[in-house]
Amino acid sequence: MVSRQILIENYKEMKKIHIVAGLLMAGAVLLFVITSTDFGTYYTFAEAELLEDGRNVKIIGQLSKDKEMVYNPEIDPNRFTFYMTDEEGDERMVVLLSEKPQDFEMSEQLVLTGRFRDGTFVAREMLMKCPSKYQDDEIFVRSEI
Amino acid sequence: MSEIQYIGETLWPGQLGHLLIIISFVSAIGATIAYFLAEKERENPVSNWLGTANWSYVIHGVSIFGLMAVIFYIMLNRMYEYAYAFNHVSDDLPFKYTFSAFWEGQEGSFLLWMFWHIILGWVIIWKGGQWRPAVMTFLSLIQVFLTSKILGTYLPFGDGGSKLGINPTVLLRDVQDAPIFANAEYLELITGSGLNILLQNYWMTIHPPVTFLGFAALSIPFCFALAGLWRRDYKGWLDPGLKWGLFAGFALGTGILLGSVWAYEALTFGGYWAWDPVENMSLVPWLIIIAGIHTNLIAKSTGHSIRATMVFYILAFCLIVYSTYLVRSGILEDTSVHAFTEMGLENQLIFFILFFLILGLTLFFMRYREIPNPKKEEDWNSREFWMFIGSMVIVIGSILITYSTSLPVMNAIMQFFDPFYQSRVVEDPIEHYNAHQLWIATLMALLSGISIYLRYRGANWLNYRKKFFTQTGIALLLTAVLTWATIQWIQVVAWQYILLIFAALFSFIVNMDHLLFRIKGNLKASGSAIAHIGFATMIIGIMASGINKTYVSSNVFAQSGMLEGMEDEDLLRNIVLIKNEPIFMRGYIATYETDRFDGNERSFDIRFVEIDEEGRGLDSFVLSPNVIYDKNFTQIEAANPDIRRQPLIDIFTRIARLPAQQIDLESAQAVEDSLRFETYYMNLGDTTFTSRHYIVLEEIHHSILHPDKEGSAEDDIALTLKMRVHSLDKDSAFTALPGIALRGSFVFRYPEQIDPLNMRIHLADTLIEDLFHTEKELNYTEFQLAQGDRFQYDEYEITFLNVNQEPWHPSYDERDGDIALSAILEVVNTETGAEYRTEPVYMIRDNIQSNFKTMVPEAGLHFRFTRVDPNTGKMTFMVAEQPMKIQNLPVQIAENVPRSDFIVLEAIRFEGLNFFWVGSFMMMIGLLFSMIVRLRNKM
Repeated sequence: MVSRQILIENYKEMKKIHIVAGLLMAGAVLLFVITSTDFGTYYTFAEAELLEDGRNVKIIGQLSKDKEMVYNPEIDPNRFTFYMTDEEGDERMVVLLSEKPQDFEMSEQLVLTGRFRDGTFVAREMLMKCPSKYQDDEIFVRSEI
Repeated sequence: MSEIQYIGETLWPGQLGHLLIIISFVSAIGATIAYFLAEKERENPVSNWLGTANWSYVIHGVSIFGLMAVIFYIMLNRMYEYAYAFNHVSDDLPFKYTFSAFWEGQEGSFLLWMFWHIILGWVIIWKGGQWRPAVMTFLSLIQVFLTSKILGTYLPFGDGGSKLGINPTVLLRDVQDAPIFANAEYLELITGSGLNILLQNYWMTIHPPVTFLGFAALSIPFCFALAGLWRRDYKGWLDPGLKWGLFAGFALGTGILLGSVWAYEALTFGGYWAWDPVENMSLVPWLIIIAGIHTNLIAKSTGHSIRATMVFYILAFCLIVYSTYLVRSGILEDTSVHAFTEMGLENQLIFFILFFLILGLTLFFMRYREIPNPKKEEDWNSREFWMFIGSMVIVIGSILITYSTSLPVMNAIMQFFDPFYQSRVVEDPIEHYNAHQLWIATLMALLSGISIYLRYRGANWLNYRKKFFTQTGIALLLTAVLTWATIQWIQVVAWQYILLIFAALFSFIVNMDHLLFRIKGNLKASGSAIAHIGFATMIIGIMASGINKTYVSSNVFAQSGMLEGMEDEDLLRNIVLIKNEPIFMRGYIATYETDRFDGNERSFDIRFVEIDEEGRGLDSFVLSPNVIYDKNFTQIEAANPDIRRQPLIDIFTRIARLPAQQIDLESAQAVEDSLRFETYYMNLGDTTFTSRHYIVLEEIHHSILHPDKEGSAEDDIALTLKMRVHSLDKDSAFTALPGIALRGSFVFRYPEQIDPLNMRIHLADTLIEDLFHTEKELNYTEFQLAQGDRFQYDEYEITFLNVNQEPWHPSYDERDGDIALSAILEVVNTETGAEYRTEPVYMIRDNIQSNFKTMVPEAGLHFRFTRVDPNTGKMTFMVAEQPMKIQNLPVQIAENVPRSDFIVLEAIRFEGLNFFWVGSFMMMIGLLFSMIVRLRNKM
């Protein structure tokens, strides 16, 4: 009898912190769900073109090194155009609202963040992947003096 | 296997290195086993396993230090036969960057980590104490795993065998297959790749060691927790655990902070934190340790939350290994700006994480029921209740960060099962992390305020209750006032941010009150007050610098009008500054004044004048961001910002872009190749028309007047055409001084570039030929003079003044055995009175006579000194008159030259950013202080 009472009392006592913890977890899950909407997938040019809600998406691709790259800072230092090919092989012109980055021609892969405006993809941000310094089978030869 | 006998290799360092690696690995294993046995026999130390274990660990430490010394030796002596030296140093690397080069590579950073584990282990050994065997068992075991990362031994499973670790003392030809190794003398032909230019600064020398000290320190509380579990002594370890936890918080926190100072001062992205995956994964273990410190404090005071503390310390260590896995595996390369080189250790690192995670959790769950947990619940009104909630909030925040950062890992796992799974990515990282961490920070700040006024176990609540509510009420009131004042300064609009500011100020006020008035010199408690005040200050700094951030370099009027809508306008961050042309930016007038070279660094001096609404100057300063060229000036390798720091305002500037011709050789060449020159024939006094300009040839000079004329010498035969260039459509006119000079047989060109007109002017090379007739056409008259004599040649009177035994002539290179002298001739034009001097040279070399002619270009006279008669003392000279042609002078002009006198600048104005530094610094001080006080009091 006595032990059963103690058990019930303990049970009642235990609840407090569990209630708070439970509330916290619920809050965390809510926060989690809300911020999960910030996750998206990588888009292709074709898919991005179809969007109408004006949100920014990410597209992975490669620089078309044979096409022209135009940056005329005297006219507009925040406008750089080039051509990129996405993972489906679709090549489009891109307008980047920033300067031409250093070593742009050496990039191996680009990740653009932006959206289509009047038929052109306008990128607000770009992440550039450059080849690592350490290439296999490449040994620097010291020039003879 | 090659049979080539290679020349010049020094093999003993590699062999010594191999030996040391083996010794360190074996002694780590030995130490682990010996400590294990020492713990087993702790009650009854018959065999003195503890002594053996201590010695094993010392040997392990010494062999690792020896290995590091060997690697330094290899690097300092530029032994490129070794892969590590080849990959990380070069001949021209300054000595001071050798340390940075050491830990640039994965092997080096593992060694750095191990180095700290050894130091910390020795501290534990030396301090003594009853926890040694148990704690050191686990620490030595961790060292076994770390040492395996530098073993470089081959194992017989997997296709073609697999490698355990990477040996830092391995020979280059053993790990790379290249044709050059067929050459026995390959060593003479290769040179090191050197240290990445972005790492050649003092930050790379201090940030990694401090951060790795933090990583190493994190393992100690972990070892203590496991030791407590093993020994079934669940309370005794809490005390040393807390001190080590505080130390880890201090060390790792300082390391992370150094990283953000580095980012702000030397990198060009304009900030101190970017929520980059690599940054996040160092932050998360730190947050967990902070949570652990708080539950550790609770445990010591009330006996609650022992289990939570153990879990947190276990998690913190496992997360740091997870973080090193993420960094070293290259899996983050699409989401992080940090560069990675994969070295194939991924599976071993995963095994490392899982091993200790399973070990820790198994031990934990095995002993779960035995861990004391007071029956009485924490009360609402107790301090530990709210501290525990706070720790939970920190952990939840960490889980959120870890989840988002680990998306690439999840993508990889999902794609393993379903190749068509689409990779998920965070669309806007900074917004995303800010959005949820905002709530975490708000709660943390509120809780760090509320819990200060409460007492452990809600002691004496009924008597204390009134005081608590009064204190809290006053604090809330003051906070409201201070918040209102603060948001006059910080232009915050969103209510969520106002709430965060409120929470931060609340914590600030409560902890300030606590520090100044309540604890009255109780040092132990002041550490936490300082840390919380620091945290609150840091949040204010983050808010102010983030919300009040403005791009000063935005000149909206200059935009081409292509874009509508506000949201993209604030992205237009760059502005073009043309040399010496002031331009109005937001609140400032900026002028690009000069650029200067210091070795390979080119700095651009930009003067800023701060102006008020009426345009009056308030303050003036110069900022000098720079770019760094590579050794041969063929391209730009790096750029550094320059920042003006004042208490409340920072102006951050960086060079976004330079004119194409100044960036790299290829672009410069491309620009040169694209220029179209047209030849125009000019006469003195005439006007010449080009497609967009008209030019008047005003004067002809026989010397170089060009601004770059430093290299020219008085004796050069030179010509400068001074011309005035007028633009046809604009109202501007410029003076140009293109020139050309002949020195001996070299032609020096001095072209002029007029940037505002996109024009470049050359004097054609054919001018030299036209002007300076070949010898054949000259009609020389011979005459003989003794010193002092005169000769009349047409209207010129030539006097032989003197002889110069040390002659100089641009074409004359003196050699031993030469007999050479020159004659100083004075030439006077008897009609105009003009006077000239010239010194033709006579030489005998190898018994052959020759001479070097000189000219007086203004008079069109050519002189030779041909013979010396030793008997009479008379010298024979020749003179010819051939005036230089000054009609139809060919000039080459290009009008499509891109300007090269501008820079593209980004300038950001931050407010209150110093609060971030002050606040984070205070947090570290608070942690350190708490630790030191506890060490002193032995509490």
